[in-house]
Amino acid sequence: MRVRLWAALASAVTFGIGLLVLIGLTVNEALLESTPFSPRLANDLRGVVDVILQLTTITIALTILIGILNLLLVHLQRLTHRASGMIYSLVLLLSFGLVVILAIANRDESLVLLETVQVSVESALAGLLFVALVYGAYRMMRHQVTWRNTLFVVVLLLVLIAAVPLNNMEAMQNFRDWLMRTPVSAGARGLLLGIALGTLVTGVRVLIGIDRSYRE
Amino acid sequence: MDDSTTAVLAIMTLVTTLVFTAASALPRLKVTLRPQPAYNKMPSMIGNAIESDRPLHISLGSAGIGGESTVLAVAVAELAYQLAKRATIGDTSPLLTLSNASAFPLAQDTLRRAYQSRGMLAQYSPLSARWYPAGERSLAFAAALTTLIPTENISGSVLAGSYGIEIGLIMDASQRKNQLVIGTSDQLDGQAVAYVLGGAPLIGEEVFTAGAYLEGEPGSLRVPLTIDALRWVVIAVMLIGLLVTLGD
Repeated sequence: MRVRLWAALASAVTFGIGLLVLIGLTVNEALLESTPFSPRLANDLRGVVDVILQLTTITIALTILIGILNLLLVHLQRLTHRASGMIYSLVLLLSFGLVVILAIANRDESLVLLETVQVSVESALAGLLFVALVYGAYRMMRHQVTWRNTLFVVVLLLVLIAAVPLNNMEAMQNFRDWLMRTPVSAGARGLLLGIALGTLVTGVRVLIGIDRSYRE
Repeated sequence: MDDSTTAVLAIMTLVTTLVFTAASALPRLKVTLRPQPAYNKMPSMIGNAIESDRPLHISLGSAGIGGESTVLAVAVAELAYQLAKRATIGDTSPLLTLSNASAFPLAQDTLRRAYQSRGMLAQYSPLSARWYPAGERSLAFAAALTTLIPTENISGSVLAGSYGIEIGLIMDASQRKNQLVIGTSDQLDGQAVAYVLGGAPLIGEEVFTAGAYLEGEPGSLRVPLTIDALRWVVIAVMLIGLLVTLGD
């Protein structure tokens, strides 16, 4: 029964604050002019909403500290348990310590370290990504040749060929432009519309407190 | 479009969604969901994880609380809850990874609730939810997961959340280990890569219907019903707009 009471309280707090923020963000002075409410109410509401949003930002910032603690504990545990790949954990912990010391001693140098090491490694990884994608497409065709897979590979080849800067390729380039402008754009909008509808429905469920996380 | 019009439209959309959410609960109809290969494969993924005593890996990507992907993070947490709830009966805890620290409390709470629902709270380890910090392009996160997959001897991965094309690296690392991997993203480039590389991808809004497919309780079944009803409303509005434009 105690758990149910807490669940009801959590739902009530969520619903109250959610509704307040929603109203505060959507209602403005111009909208209130045609209603019996004073237009100043919009400013007052916005003030309350700003405080709530600032509290949210501070809470989110604190989660980074929790995340760092989690990261260190996970890798310390891997080291103490001598888990496979513990060398990566050792490198991570040493790097963490080194960056902290550098940041305390000279913040600029720690930023140089980040720029030279992390950006270079990430760029190399981005290069590998192309190989992974091409290999993935090959594996997809090897696994099963369906009309969808075939269509994907044919369209991919056509777009790549049309991107080659050669003379007498106007027809291909026009076809590529049409492809990107009409079917690709329509598909992308359809996908985004679907995500927006899903977001809306889930958002409303959270707002009115019927999401699972408030029931248990 | 001025601010007032935007506000009125936002309120109308919200009211419409509320009406559909409430109305879909009224009739006690038997709902038949359309087949969904990704959700059909998930129970066997969990079975494999339990039988082989290896962890199932679920990742939220860069979905987090406080930004545009807040609701997506909540939806993926529901998917993770459904998977973790089944996987908790195994000896090895499922792993939940994320790159956005703001979703970290959500991830830990999801795992905790999954264990609690089975009355096995003592087996829950907070370290089963893991945060891997990401750079601007999330490639550091992708690199961390490609290392996690072999070192933790992962049995299969469900990558649902917010990813760019770096999802390709994670999926490739999984498939090299002959693991089943299911991917979806709210970013178009990430979704495209997940579709090509994944065996059974989830597309667009399908990630929001995890509760309906994996649990099937009446409350969860309202989600796909409401999304479908709203979709028809959007189609009708588009057709009316088209007819009005053609008529002018």
